Amino acid sequence: MNRSRATKKIGFVVVMILFGVALFSTRYYLVDLPVYHFFGGGEGPDPPALHLRGEFVESNLGAAEGPSGALTVRMIAQQFVFVPQCVEVPAGVPVTFRMTSADVVHMLSFLGTDYGLKVVPGAVTEATFTFSKPGTFKIPCHEFCGAGHYAMRGQLNVVPQDQFAGMLPGERRACELR
Amino acid sequence: MSYASWAWRVRTAAWIGLVAGLCVIALLLAGRNSSAQSSANPASANPASANLSSAKLASANAANAEPAVRIPSNVAWTEETLKLVSRGDAFRGSLLGRRCNHCHGEEGFSSVAAFPNLAGMDRMSFWKQMQDFRSGKRSSPVMEPIAQGFSQRDAADLAAYFAMLPTASDPQDNRAFPQAMHDPARATIAIRLIIFGDGQRGIPPCQSCHGPVFYVKGAPPLAKQNGDYLEQQLQYFSNGFRSNDINVRMRSVARQLTAEEKTAVSEFYGAGLGPGAN
Repeated sequence: MNRSRATKKIGFVVVMILFGVALFSTRYYLVDLPVYHFFGGGEGPDPPALHLRGEFVESNLGAAEGPSGALTVRMIAQQFVFVPQCVEVPAGVPVTFRMTSADVVHMLSFLGTDYGLKVVPGAVTEATFTFSKPGTFKIPCHEFCGAGHYAMRGQLNVVPQDQFAGMLPGERRACELR
Repeated sequence: MSYASWAWRVRTAAWIGLVAGLCVIALLLAGRNSSAQSSANPASANPASANLSSAKLASANAANAEPAVRIPSNVAWTEETLKLVSRGDAFRGSLLGRRCNHCHGEEGFSSVAAFPNLAGMDRMSFWKQMQDFRSGKRSSPVMEPIAQGFSQRDAADLAAYFAMLPTASDPQDNRAFPQAMHDPARATIAIRLIIFGDGQRGIPPCQSCHGPVFYVKGAPPLAKQNGDYLEQQLQYFSNGFRSNDINVRMRSVARQLTAEEKTAVSEFYGAGLGPGAN
C-alpha cells in the first residue's frame, strides 16, 4: 500500500464527515447527565431524603402549571416504580420534565416517541419535549436497575390539546395506569 | 528533524492552540446548551434555586397556589439513621421485648393471624415502623401509644432482638402461622406475582424488594408473615389509609392489585409457601 499523505488526509476527513452525519441523523434524543450539574455548581436533591424536603415531596409530583402556563412534570424514578406511574400531558405543547432518582441510575424511554431521559441520583434531569401525536406511550426503565428492572414501567398519556382539562391552582395531575 | 528547530516549535504551538481552542468551544457549547435547557422553566433557570422554585412560583403568582406539603414518614435512610439502627443491643432488646409477648408471641410469632410476626424481622423496617407509629405517620390505636413509650435507641434494641429470633417452626409454640390457603387454586396467581410481577401493569415482583432475591431498605421480609395481616395492609395501602411508605412505592404497587390478587398473595405467604420460607 503506497498512499500519499494527501489521500490519507482526505480519507480521514471523509470518514469524520460520515461519522458526524450518522451521529446527528439519529432520531433518538436521549437527555443524558445534566451538564449544569458539573458547570453550574448547583446542589442536587438528597436521594434518601426526597420525601422530606425540596421539590420532589410526594404532594408536588405530577404535572404542574407554572405562572406562564408552561407545564412541568415532576417524577421520581426508584426501584422499581416510577412515581407517579402515569402522567397526562397535552399534545403539541412543550412539556418540561424534571426528574430525579431515589437510589440508582434509571433511564426512561418513551416507547413510540423519539425521546429518552437518563435519571441520576443526586441530580435533576431536566428536558423539554413536545409530543406531536396523541396516544398512550409506555415508559419502561431502560437502564438495568436491579431485580425488578424488567417490570418497572410507567405510562404517558398524550391527549389532544382541547381535551386536556385546565389545571386548577395548585393542582398536581397524575393518572391511573391501565 | 531537530526538536530545537523553529519550524517544530511553531507546529507544536499551533497544535496546542488548536486543541485548547476546541476545548474552549466545547465548554461554551455545553454551557449554552444547559442554559437553553433550563430556560424552558424560568423559575428554575438556576439549579441552585431549584429546590426553592416551588416557593418562588407561589410568591410570584398567587393564582398558582402550591399544594400543602405532605411528608409520608420522618425517617430517611441517611448514614446516621443506618448507624443508629445497626448499633441496637439485642440483649437489652430481649428485656424490652417482654412487653410485646402478649400480642406478638413469646417467640415472635403471634397467636392471632391479624397481628404481624416479628421473628426474623428486618431491623430497618422494624425501626421505621416504630418511628412512624410514634410520630403518627402510621396510625394504629394500639401501637401508637406503645411506640411512644420507646425511644429511638429502644426501638433499635428491639429491632436487633427480633431480627435475631429464629423463624424455624416450633410445634410447642401457640402460633397462627402457617395457615392453609382457602383456595389453593389461587396459588398460580400468587406465584406469578411474587416471582414475575406484571410488567404490563407496572407491578414489580414481590421478591425483588421483599426478598429473598433482593431487598430494598425498609421492605420487610414476607416469608414468615401472617396472611391476614398482609391482606389487611395491602388493603390499607391501596385505599390510602396507610401511607407511610417513602416515595409512594408500596401504594403504587398495591393500587394496581385486584382484590383477588391481594388475597392470593397474602394467603400464599401466610401458608408458608413464599420463596425463602424454608
